[in-house]
Amino acid sequence: MLSPRSLVVLLVALAAAPLALPPFFLQLLTEIAIIGLFATAFNLLMGYGGMLSFGHAAYFALGAYAAALLVRKAGVPMLLALPVAPVVAAVGALVFGVFIVRLSHTYFAMLSLAFGQIVYTVIFKWKSFTGGDDGLLDVWPPPYLKSPAAYYYFALIVVGLALWALHAVVDSPFGYALKAVRENPRRARFIGVNVRRHQLVAFVISGAFSGLAGGLFAFYNGSVFPDFAYFTKSFEPLVVALLGGVQSFGGPLVGAFAFKVLEWLISRQWPVYWPLFLGSVVILVIVVLPQGFVGLLGRRPWARPVGSS
Amino acid sequence: MGAAGGVELVLETVGLSKRFGGVQAVNGVDLAVPAGDLRAIIGPNGAGKTTFFNLVTGDLAHDSGQIFLAGREVSGLPPHQLCRRGLGRTFQITSIFRRLSALENVQTALLSHHGRHYNVLRPARGLFRDEALGLLERVGLASQAAKPSGIMSHGDQRRLEMAIALASGPRVLLLDEPTAGMAPRERHELMGLVARIARDTGLTVVFTEHDMDVVFATARRITVLHQGAVLTEGAPAEVRANPDVLRVYLGQPTTAGR
Repeated sequence: MLSPRSLVVLLVALAAAPLALPPFFLQLLTEIAIIGLFATAFNLLMGYGGMLSFGHAAYFALGAYAAALLVRKAGVPMLLALPVAPVVAAVGALVFGVFIVRLSHTYFAMLSLAFGQIVYTVIFKWKSFTGGDDGLLDVWPPPYLKSPAAYYYFALIVVGLALWALHAVVDSPFGYALKAVRENPRRARFIGVNVRRHQLVAFVISGAFSGLAGGLFAFYNGSVFPDFAYFTKSFEPLVVALLGGVQSFGGPLVGAFAFKVLEWLISRQWPVYWPLFLGSVVILVIVVLPQGFVGLLGRRPWARPVGSS
Repeated sequence: MGAAGGVELVLETVGLSKRFGGVQAVNGVDLAVPAGDLRAIIGPNGAGKTTFFNLVTGDLAHDSGQIFLAGREVSGLPPHQLCRRGLGRTFQITSIFRRLSALENVQTALLSHHGRHYNVLRPARGLFRDEALGLLERVGLASQAAKPSGIMSHGDQRRLEMAIALASGPRVLLLDEPTAGMAPRERHELMGLVARIARDTGLTVVFTEHDMDVVFATARRITVLHQGAVLTEGAPAEVRANPDVLRVYLGQPTTAGR
């Protein structure tokens, strides 16, 4: 993690941001925080567990729709609906994960993609419940959290707590054993680790935090759409994690910042060329900077490799 | 099965068999390893050593027969449960967690052994640290604790794997060609270490080995496999003098009779 001093500097800067930045940039920062959480949850599997999921949008969308449906259909207030988002996503991750972790590598990725598309199709087709293609609108936070600055603070606190929890997970005995599973499943079994069950628990934790990110995004966006579950959305945490670096805890956060800032810079000038630009940057990072942008920052304590402590 | 002649059997196989297509790779092997034994399993190439090993460690499913660990049947149990029942092992090709430090390798094994591997609530860094360092010291790696294990020398990685296996608190330790790829002097050092640990801790060790010098210098008893079955078993001196053993090794440049 960050050294205590730089953590304090960062937190003070983030807390002071609403004094200095116009609402647009607060919204951009809010989105960076939410995508950063999504990518960090994804990277629990990819970086720490050695599992590549191509279907993580499913858990993001399950969280987003769970929260949105509670607000719209049951009139539940946001502060009660949001905690349900990770729970529903975790249940989804458990049900699908049971099948997905039976496979490895390419097959793991393809099955996760298939389950993701099932979630998308259900949301898309079940018009009476989910609104289908029209999505669900008017999913706003309560008035006192509706201003960009207020929701920015709210999202920052929730994401901060979630990141703290995820960091505790990777530093815990569970996290150590997860890294062992990534490094060498055969050896991991012969230190007594039930490899599949360990992968499943990691999958559920990752799904839960992806769902929390989805719930936060629903209220940020004021609406939810089936696209949240579409497979292109599943590549977002992958690209973000790759940009920032999958080999450190902070990599996906740096990646989320780079991704959103570049997207803003490029697409306001040349919206058509954003995908071309993004593709080129991803290729460049993979070839030249396998450790992602955090690799540029040298061996800072918080850019520490996933493997060592 | 349990005690035979008052000595507890730590590892026992009864009529263990495995067929691959038309080849009877392991053919009704009865093996009884008493507590504290340092047992070598030898045999010419193709005798079934590795297959037998993989049957005992649960890597291969056997066709018939039974496996007992400390008197309890463990036939068909998956590796992680065998490990928890007291079966430790090292692999023919060194098997460690390469991107973790030597200390973390051993710490992770200790965390799992103590059933803490699902704990997400506290940092692992300080847990079982002293025990892990103690195990590293025992295998001669104390000075390399912080090193990423993937960049350690081959011989040191084999020692590390030994420490990982010991961290699971095994009743019996199975070593599959523990000195493969090592220089002769290193081989004797490593097996000397194994013998010392076995003597100090009362650990039972079963190993396969190609180097006959190492076998005869280390083993307390030797089981000779030939064509998937037990040819003979005895103390090193008996095995060395056995004409059948010489006969099955004929045709191979062997050091068995040296």
